[in-house]
Amino acid sequence: MTIDVILTIMIGLAGGLAVGSGFVAFIVVLGVIPRLTQLTKTMKWIHAYEWAVVSGALTGGWISLRDTVLSLSKYLLIPLGLFSGVFIGMLAAALTEVLNVWPILAKRIGVAEKIVILLMAIAFGKVFGSLFHWIYFVNH
Amino acid sequence: MEKTVFIRLRNRVQVHPNADVCIGDIAQMIINDPELIEKLKKIRIYQIKASDKNIVIIDMMKVVEAILDFDSSLDIQTIGPAQTIIEVVYKKRNLTNLYFALIWLLLFIGSALAIMNFHEDVSMQKVHQRLYTIITGEKADKPLLFQIPYSIGLGIGMILFFNHVFRKRINEEPSPLEVEMFNYQQAIDQYVIVNENKESMRRIHDD
Repeated sequence: MTIDVILTIMIGLAGGLAVGSGFVAFIVVLGVIPRLTQLTKTMKWIHAYEWAVVSGALTGGWISLRDTVLSLSKYLLIPLGLFSGVFIGMLAAALTEVLNVWPILAKRIGVAEKIVILLMAIAFGKVFGSLFHWIYFVNH
Repeated sequence: MEKTVFIRLRNRVQVHPNADVCIGDIAQMIINDPELIEKLKKIRIYQIKASDKNIVIIDMMKVVEAILDFDSSLDIQTIGPAQTIIEVVYKKRNLTNLYFALIWLLLFIGSALAIMNFHEDVSMQKVHQRLYTIITGEKADKPLLFQIPYSIGLGIGMILFFNHVFRKRINEEPSPLEVEMFNYQQAIDQYVIVNENKESMRRIHDD
């Protein structure tokens, strides 16, 4: 019985450790946080940002594992949705960046000056695809 | 007294096809003799041929050799890059608008499909429904109140990351895209410096 409990605690802790460090590695590789601090010139707050990520992951993890119900106003979902969208958008942008798509595209087809317009194609494509998915696609 | 020439090659120079390349085109020079500097600048170093295609590498050694041929008593001090990349610019191939529109459409549709696949892949719909229940305590099949701001946020996030709102920059720093393009160009330059320059490698020729 005691061994069972200790073993379960061990496995849970080990699993959490692996997932947590993987999550941090992912965020670090994509460089979203440095990018945000660079945009807002808030290098000195970088440790606070670390804690924001850690506590956010912890809260999300806890809430999704338990059946917590907060019973708050549904309009709270609007800013929440916007923030999660911006975060995922930045992740997606960082991912295309890692894959080195842009320099090659610009070089190969020689559109270096118009690259911003192509960037907009991707951003609008994401917005359109996402809206289409939620409003129409999920019904079919 | 022996005259000292300080010379620094430029990294990258663009020329027209069949141009005569002089030392003045590819290098900066400092000597305490304004007459001599004009003469040195006019020394011809290379004639672009059709067989050169679009990249020619001029090594510092060649420049030094040419200057010593002109006046062997000069003391030459070299500074900076050891070679110049000469880019022969042929008439610009103009991208037609149709071609451009096709690429735009390709990227638009491609990214739309990619985000839908991503949502399906990570069961985003279920997560959103769950979140709706957690916050409000009610059930919703289509939590659009969350999902529409989310979709708009996606676009904002991408634009924020690349630091561009159409032509306008949000601040002065180069965007990661520009840094990435610069790195790519540097890697290519490094490659051509080694591979287009006959003097930079020596191989064993055994048949």
